[in-house]
Amino acid sequence: MSAQFIASLIIMLVMLHVFLGSISYLILLERKVASWIQHRLGPNRTGLPYGAFIPGLPKTLWGLGQPIADAIKNFLKEDFIAPGADRILFILAPGLALIPALVGWIIVPFGGYLHLNGTNLLMGGAPLNIGIIFVLATGSLAVYGVVLGGFASNNKYSFLGGMRATAQMVSYEIPLGMTILTIILMYGTARADYLIEFQAGGVWNIIYQPVLAMMFYICGLAECNRAPFDLAECEQELVGGFHTEYSSMKFALFFMGEYFHMITSAAIFSLLFLGGWDIIPFVKLLPAMGEQTTLVWGIIAVLLKIGVFCGKITFLIFLAMVIRWSLPRFRFDQLMRLAWQSLIPISLMMLIMTGMVVFFGLNRWWLLPGNFLVVGIVYVLMPYLPKGPAVNRRVPLEGSRFCPPVAEA
Amino acid sequence: MLTLLAQESFSHYGAVAVLIMMAVIFAVANLILTHLLGPQKQGKIKGMTYESGMNPVGSARRRFNVRFYIVAMSFLVFDVEIVFLYPWATVFPSLSEHSDLPIVFLGRMLFFVLTTVIAFVYAWRKGVFRYD
Repeated sequence: MSAQFIASLIIMLVMLHVFLGSISYLILLERKVASWIQHRLGPNRTGLPYGAFIPGLPKTLWGLGQPIADAIKNFLKEDFIAPGADRILFILAPGLALIPALVGWIIVPFGGYLHLNGTNLLMGGAPLNIGIIFVLATGSLAVYGVVLGGFASNNKYSFLGGMRATAQMVSYEIPLGMTILTIILMYGTARADYLIEFQAGGVWNIIYQPVLAMMFYICGLAECNRAPFDLAECEQELVGGFHTEYSSMKFALFFMGEYFHMITSAAIFSLLFLGGWDIIPFVKLLPAMGEQTTLVWGIIAVLLKIGVFCGKITFLIFLAMVIRWSLPRFRFDQLMRLAWQSLIPISLMMLIMTGMVVFFGLNRWWLLPGNFLVVGIVYVLMPYLPKGPAVNRRVPLEGSRFCPPVAEA
Repeated sequence: MLTLLAQESFSHYGAVAVLIMMAVIFAVANLILTHLLGPQKQGKIKGMTYESGMNPVGSARRRFNVRFYIVAMSFLVFDVEIVFLYPWATVFPSLSEHSDLPIVFLGRMLFFVLTTVIAFVYAWRKGVFRYD
């Protein structure tokens, strides 16, 4: 029982409950953002008093009671298992989707270091030395829940959704891993706390590597099955995708897993590229690791760091919601082409470029022109790449009334 | 050294173990609670697979397109490469500049990436990434 274990345990328990509570309110926020973008009111009927009259409190509090009502309703709905379904896998799948999502964020160092009695205590999750790789390991386990859910349902929509989700998550894991690898290569460590300490009070990685940050954000959206990459559950084609046959809390567990993945990917983005708990780049405001402070200022700084971290996470999730409600969905071939024919080659080039900068011992500012050099190379090479046949344009739908006259071969 | 490392790691992984336990308990409790609280009724029409209101045609467990299998195979090529590059990336920036280790390590990485690029180009030319 070291002091670090107790500190990790306290922060972990607090943040777990904060996140679990905030997930239901994130769903409300998502519906509010949707209504804001589509110019309507959104959920606004279920207030916190649930119809009871409390003097001085408005009856409908911007729909703030909606998440709790939804949770109770989910518990009370019938837990239906179709007779054709594989019972064991069907029950196992939502748990398998949720558990890895709940575990991955443990490495995020929310509060930075607190200097106490000559030792440095990490006021965050566990300071694992595999760090970011732990997130990748748990993140890839999330595929199992989705594919088993799709397979066990014995429903064609679910099956297609599960297959699509597998192909998508597997494809976007490669550029995601490569971008993380590039950041590890810059600093020579995979520990999340060290990665933040390197950036804090100095230059954030998004300034060194803007193109890489953009690629990481795209891959993060795709890994969470978020729009515009939500082909696994697109309503127009597949009803609900892999969770078509699910009801009650089992259905809600899939959604909680998805929102927890969003929180995790936003946290990883902010710790890799936005300096974690750092307030503004180039200015040192908060004490770094191992710095002597008074106890009161140290504790205030830890609370500030946690607040800044949560603020960044909230902003990134808000961004993902705005993207979801403003961009149309990709087609499946476009999705796979984006992963295999553009993101993977570009991330390979980024890796080699960063490796060169590290090898020659250059200043990190060389990474910025290096990023744009890679983009330039891509633009120069693009016209010489072999092109596939134009999709969906020259295929005459024979027999349909939209079919142009087909030449006899 | 090794025991020291194990001790340090153990206390760090303690919080992870507690979190995994809590996650499993949370998921299982939710699944059991919703099973107990909700109503239970079965019916012939109700148990039918949902297929947009039509009578379901055949089983859903049938053969699927081989493309998904090929994607999984080409994923393995890259994933193994990334896994092997993680230790390389943590060691590479801290190599001594006065030895010939950096150039050796860079050469190894470039050779390793080259083998993957060959596989990638082969797959591209074969049309693995072409979806129509």
